[in-house]
Amino acid sequence: MIYLDNAATTFPKPAEVLTQMLETYRRIGVSPGRGGYDQAVEAGELVEQTRRKLARFFGSSDPDRVIFTANATDALNLAIQGIVVPGDHVVATRLEHNSVLRPLHHLKRQIGIEFDLVPFDKNGFIDPDRIGRAIRPHTKLVIVCHASNVLGTIQPAAEIANVCAARGVPLLLDVAQSAGMIPIDMQQWGVRAIAFTGHKAMMGPCGIGGLVVMPDLEIRPTRFGGTGVDSANLFQTPGFPHCLEAGTLNLLGVIGLSAGLDYLEKTGMARTLQHEIALLEHLHHGLQAIDNIRVYTSPSYGLHTPVLTCNIDGMRSVDVSTILDGDYGIAVRAGLHCAPLVHADLGTETHGAVRFSLGPFTTREDIDNTVSAVAAIAR
Amino acid sequence: MEPREPKTGDSSRIPAIVDRDVYFDKEGFLYDFEDWSEELFRVLAKEAGLLEINDQHWRVIRFLREFFAINGRAPLNRQLREGTGMRLAELESLFPGGIRHGARRLSGLPNPEDCR
Repeated sequence: MIYLDNAATTFPKPAEVLTQMLETYRRIGVSPGRGGYDQAVEAGELVEQTRRKLARFFGSSDPDRVIFTANATDALNLAIQGIVVPGDHVVATRLEHNSVLRPLHHLKRQIGIEFDLVPFDKNGFIDPDRIGRAIRPHTKLVIVCHASNVLGTIQPAAEIANVCAARGVPLLLDVAQSAGMIPIDMQQWGVRAIAFTGHKAMMGPCGIGGLVVMPDLEIRPTRFGGTGVDSANLFQTPGFPHCLEAGTLNLLGVIGLSAGLDYLEKTGMARTLQHEIALLEHLHHGLQAIDNIRVYTSPSYGLHTPVLTCNIDGMRSVDVSTILDGDYGIAVRAGLHCAPLVHADLGTETHGAVRFSLGPFTTREDIDNTVSAVAAIAR
Repeated sequence: MEPREPKTGDSSRIPAIVDRDVYFDKEGFLYDFEDWSEELFRVLAKEAGLLEINDQHWRVIRFLREFFAINGRAPLNRQLREGTGMRLAELESLFPGGIRHGARRLSGLPNPEDCR
């Protein structure tokens, strides 16, 4: 199989990540930080060690403010619902995934928040000044999708954070598509919170992600339960990370995430991205030479993840992906990619588009075969 | 599955060829796999622009229906290819509307739930 759905989840996972998960979980797969026996203490230490690694990885100063969640969507919900109250205003963008759009729409209906969605330009980028102009006196939060899962464009996070800081509004960055692909420095950029997932470019398994919060941003608990400490207290344990982490952690996921971080350190994000972008350009060049292909991705790859979205004229995207899979063994993602407003602005809201997303294990031969397959389908 | 809503404009036409109301979703897929009949297929095919139904069409339709009846789901892509003996590109061009909105819909299989 030629796997080109890495924006959904990277596949395959590196062998060392899977081995580490199995070996460590076999040895200390107990409830972390919940008991005094050696394995529980070791498991707890592994969790804390992973928080420290993640804090360093994202340029955050306080490992206690690394909150483990199930995924980026979970982290975004935790942040949005823990920050916004009735009457607040939120600024986000039309690039957002449903992980942001749906919480905002539900909160609008349930508690009467307001929000504005800033449009992207013809190349898929957000102008920081437009974010600034959308901020109102009662804006509580700005949320920006760092890298579009449809277009692959990476937004100027530091510039957007500057605009937000000047207006005194925290920026929550959704780094689901960018974490593990490009360096993220919360401190240097002035980003107040990020939501990440572990199973994409961070090379961990599904089911683990996190929210990283800078010390000057408070988030109310919206879930309550056991934390393993302060058990006599019938209210949620105050203080990070416990105030936002209720219930037993996904230890297997944490182990995998930690191993994924080690893998990234060993292989080097810059080198991997360079490899992927070179292949993306090769793919773009190949597809553009085919008649009847409409490519929606910007040809400029300076600020890009390895994602290309296109359609074949006269064919539904879902059928193109079905043929690529059934006839050629090529796995891609068709449809709306859970980002309906991006497709609305591209004019592809009815039948979606075909997304090719490359990964660290994609080869030039994979791309050559893909271009040949698309050419044959489009003929 | 409980019928939910009739396809707009179809409620008066369908009862004329079958003896009960037949419900479609917004994309024209049957809600109830059991509502399908060869007669209904011919009507829907004509409506879709498929005027001449040949052996290849029947091979696809019968495979899809038999597979769904036995397994309770649509075939995987490779199973569709193996079961029909056709490349999927060929199958796509065989039905107006392609594989999903053509072959699958006209076979009376439910509309798949995915991100679209």
